[in-house]
Amino acid sequence: MKRDVPALVLFGLAALAPLVTRDGFLLDSLILILLWGAVSGAWNVAGGYAGQVSLGHSAFFGLGAYSAALLATRWNQSPWLGLLVGALLATGAGLVIGYLANRLKGPYFGLATIAFSQVLLILASRWRAVTSGSEGIPVPFRPGFATLGFQSKVPWVYLVLTLAVGIYLVARYLETSRPGYQLAGVREDEDAAEALGIPCRRLKVTAVAASAALTSVCGGLWAQYVGFVDPFYVFSVDLSIRFALNSIIGGLGTAIGPFVGSLLITSLEIYLRATFSDFKAGLIGIYLIIYGCLLIVVVRFVPQGLVGWIGERLRAMGRYARA
Amino acid sequence: MLELEAVTKRFGGLTAVKDVSLRAAPGEILGIIGPNGAGKTTLFNVISGFYAPNTGTVRLDGRDIGGLAPHHVCALGLTRTFQLVKPFGNLSVLDNVMIGALTRVHAVSAAREAARRVIATCRLEAFAESRARSLPIGLRKRLEVARALATQPRLLLLDEVMSGLNPTELVEMIEILRRLHADGLGLIVIEHIMAAMMRLAQRIVVLHHGEKIAEGRPEEISRDPRVVDAYLGEEFVFADA
Repeated sequence: MKRDVPALVLFGLAALAPLVTRDGFLLDSLILILLWGAVSGAWNVAGGYAGQVSLGHSAFFGLGAYSAALLATRWNQSPWLGLLVGALLATGAGLVIGYLANRLKGPYFGLATIAFSQVLLILASRWRAVTSGSEGIPVPFRPGFATLGFQSKVPWVYLVLTLAVGIYLVARYLETSRPGYQLAGVREDEDAAEALGIPCRRLKVTAVAASAALTSVCGGLWAQYVGFVDPFYVFSVDLSIRFALNSIIGGLGTAIGPFVGSLLITSLEIYLRATFSDFKAGLIGIYLIIYGCLLIVVVRFVPQGLVGWIGERLRAMGRYARA
Repeated sequence: MLELEAVTKRFGGLTAVKDVSLRAAPGEILGIIGPNGAGKTTLFNVISGFYAPNTGTVRLDGRDIGGLAPHHVCALGLTRTFQLVKPFGNLSVLDNVMIGALTRVHAVSAAREAARRVIATCRLEAFAESRARSLPIGLRKRLEVARALATQPRLLLLDEVMSGLNPTELVEMIEILRRLHADGLGLIVIEHIMAAMMRLAQRIVVLHHGEKIAEGRPEEISRDPRVVDAYLGEEFVFADA
């Protein structure tokens, strides 16, 4: 399909990358670009397609990360089981948050989701007996596919790429299926959708729960990859905003948008960090300033996101060429 | 067949609809008129499930639907439109209508075909690919009807779909509604434009301050002194009837 060409190019290049380079830094960057794109794609299911803009998705990411880490360290279980447990927990939490979405609209929903993620942060950082509190949890390295321990980065590229493609396909399903169209109706005008026979509440709750479960799987894989879970990172508002921003910059409610956003933001962040960190101690945080300015420019001039903007340019060029 | 029995809807101290009973026979065009604030739209909200009645019953084909969720009421064959039209602004006209069709037709491609047929019925073919928000008000009203029609109702509740139309659009809309009626669809029409209502409705119910003050054939209604009183100073609106 014509619409899938950008995704084929992007994911195709990612798949070929390990054949070209074995440079650890480059492959690490690629893994992070795909992973943050995937989480943002999971966020997009609720925020973009269902119109439920959450600013607390780190809650689900953290649930996934902690489930994988705790099952591995405390109970010596497979991280795959951790992914499943995390997904189930996040689905439950997503149902609660989705229920809230039926009570709270717009910014109030966003605030409620922030509060939810902060409650989990307090729980994770204070409940020392189980979570080791604010010290965080190192995830043990156990080599093998069943335990998700790889010496090389190459298997991680393909694992995260599989996840990314999976989440892309979920989004494509939402663009072409009955529930997807109905969800678009709910997002555009809930009363009208309801009057046309669409069970709005059930659809919204389902979308938020599915988004939560996918986010949690990303969190679990991230914990395995990075090897350490810090409550103040995985449950942070920063992380929630990053999930939202990748989608907003790339294009809300588009399947490839979150990955385009992540490609831009993640690589920019990695580049700025690498460039300025050994420059001068006083400039250590300057990447945040540049990052912030870029956000302002995009939100001011391309509010529909890069994917939408590029699409419009291409269509305009097509009309010009025909004329 | 829709039957309302002694339906009352209160908002705090305000009684928006008071003790209203009415019936709409299958395939009938029933008009509901009344001055601003008479409770017409509230009545629609009660019938379509957006509000639950405080007292009284709403029955559709003998089944009590008072308090059912709107999507449930729609599934039972009763669909309403909104006075302030609510198009899915960022979607195309075709997608708008198709989302309505998907309520009955589960396969997307079949729903798209069904939507195209409804769009043809409502003479929106030329705008099928336009974004709904780009349409002028007259066409938005027609889109509102098309979308509701796509859910294949047996009874359609139209809330002022003729207000704000220019004379050509008005004639077209009346023609569309007449054709739907000829195909056996029941219509309940709220309207301010009396001329149109007199030509379209078979029976008219008049609401005033939330109460039903008159009911009858259009020519009886236009001569009813209580109705003329309610519309005091507005007799001219009947002039074209």
